[in-house]
Amino acid sequence: MHIPDNYLSPATCAVMTTAMVPVWVKSVRKMKEEIPKVKIPLLGIGAAFSFLLMMFNVPLPGGTTGHAVGGTLLAILLGPYAACISVTVALLIQALLFGDGGILAFGANCFNMAFVLPFFGYFIYKFIKDRVRTEKGEYVGIAIGSYMGINVAAFIAAIEFGLQPLLFKDATGQPLYCPYSLSVSIPAMTIPHLLVAGVIEMIFTVAIVAYIKKVSPGTIYDGAKQKTNAIYGLIALLICFTPLGLLATGTAWGEWGTDEIKEVASGGNVLGYIPKGMKDGFNFEAIMPDYAISGLPEVAGYILSALAGVAILIILFKVISSFMKSGSKA
Amino acid sequence: MGAMKHMKKETSNMPDWLLETENYIPESDQDTFVNKSILSLLKVIARIKSQDQEKQAKLQVNVTLHVAFTFILLILLSLSRSFIFVIVINVYLLLILSAMDAEKIVKILKVSIGVSFFTFLVMVPAIFWGNHFSSIMITSKAFATVTAVGILSHSTKWGTITSAFKRFMVPDIFILVLDITIKYIVMLGEFALNMLYALKLRSIGRNKSKYTSLSGIAGNMFIKSKEMAEDMYQAMECRGFTGEYHVYYKSRFQYIDYIYLIVNVAIFILFFYFQNI
Repeated sequence: MHIPDNYLSPATCAVMTTAMVPVWVKSVRKMKEEIPKVKIPLLGIGAAFSFLLMMFNVPLPGGTTGHAVGGTLLAILLGPYAACISVTVALLIQALLFGDGGILAFGANCFNMAFVLPFFGYFIYKFIKDRVRTEKGEYVGIAIGSYMGINVAAFIAAIEFGLQPLLFKDATGQPLYCPYSLSVSIPAMTIPHLLVAGVIEMIFTVAIVAYIKKVSPGTIYDGAKQKTNAIYGLIALLICFTPLGLLATGTAWGEWGTDEIKEVASGGNVLGYIPKGMKDGFNFEAIMPDYAISGLPEVAGYILSALAGVAILIILFKVISSFMKSGSKA
Repeated sequence: MGAMKHMKKETSNMPDWLLETENYIPESDQDTFVNKSILSLLKVIARIKSQDQEKQAKLQVNVTLHVAFTFILLILLSLSRSFIFVIVINVYLLLILSAMDAEKIVKILKVSIGVSFFTFLVMVPAIFWGNHFSSIMITSKAFATVTAVGILSHSTKWGTITSAFKRFMVPDIFILVLDITIKYIVMLGEFALNMLYALKLRSIGRNKSKYTSLSGIAGNMFIKSKEMAEDMYQAMECRGFTGEYHVYYKSRFQYIDYIYLIVNVAIFILFFYFQNI
């Protein structure tokens, strides 16, 4: 998810960096309040830890390997504010000294991986943990939190990419930076994360937290009773992001309304039915206003992958809501 | 005969399992992920150590200038719409690169060719959708950007880069954290390496719990990092280090700095010249 330079316009980079400034300031202040001076070295060593965490290769089916980002893990272990600073420093070292991720895009990378990922992951974890007060509930929270954290971060990165061709064109209408609009960037970014990276992140996070809890339970950050209002703030923020999808020509991939899914063409054949899960599942129109499909690129692979993304998202939401229900009964 | 008897007596004292011929052939097991983790850790540690041992070259551009102009160059590259400008910068960077050691050239080019090849792959579909220009443009910009950062990173000690940060008014706490991070990537990394080696050596035949051991290694690394942080704070306190940084050496401009300055002003002018064409 490390965005290199020249994929995003300098203007976008400036906006993202500006957006990060209050987050950094808040994090440093919060650290000073929460953490006595004794723990200042911990920030650096935490950054070293998060840097090294990305060096660990996790086996994947088929003999390949992948690596985790560990943003939610750090947030659970050190608290979200410390995680923000640690990941920021790790990203700076990667960009400046190892050429991994852009320097101008540093702000955008921090926004996705040092802000959205740990905070969103942590608040989902906290939200579930505070409602389902069993050990199992906590692990479910860790699993869903880490999975959602990395996927939301990937989604935001996709929005940043996808906005480039809409906002930055030369006189002839050719895009100057990332040439792919939201209809391509969203499935291209989110599907690998939903299917692979998210799963790695989830397994890695749960296993490490379980290990540390067993071996050295006192070392984990036990965040003073978090006000869960914060999560509503984050959700509101995400909803603010979604109208950006309107800028796209045509419905974004994987974001069709139920009446549109019928008309989705796959290899020239119209789908012709509404998937059942979609009909009685979420009402997409509530979030995404209806707009016509036009100019869908005829790449059948995208259709397949987009459908996979829709299905996975619906399953995920249903699973979460069923957990929420059983949690509130208990 | 007597000897035979003697032997029989001895064997009867030995447990049977010791007398059986052993034909244990360990089952082969895959440990790609352990090997890959070891490799990527080694690479990082080696990179940090090699930059630390580097002797400051005689013809060394002032680091503060180098950091500042690299940053400006990246912005100009990103803003530029002129392909000629990007090519000019690429040639300029290749010229600087050609003056460096072969070993460093290989290391820098590995990264920049890797990144631009990846960028090219990403841009291939756009070419088919009739977007050749920006695809080639972005690929060549990516090459220039990564090469410029590579040159900065490989030609300076990282300690001097953090001292340059101090001149840019970056807060001390940030520089402190950055310094600690670089140092502890090596220390924690070596700690993790030893555990990975141990896992490899002790996994004879098929080790089913190898995957779980990985989380153990990462978990131990975290616990160790907490201990190290406490030790470090105590060490800091004992030596009276409060986390404030002062830059002591006074850097004077050498003739090479003036050359560097002139070249960069020229780049600046070129940028506006080509932008207006």
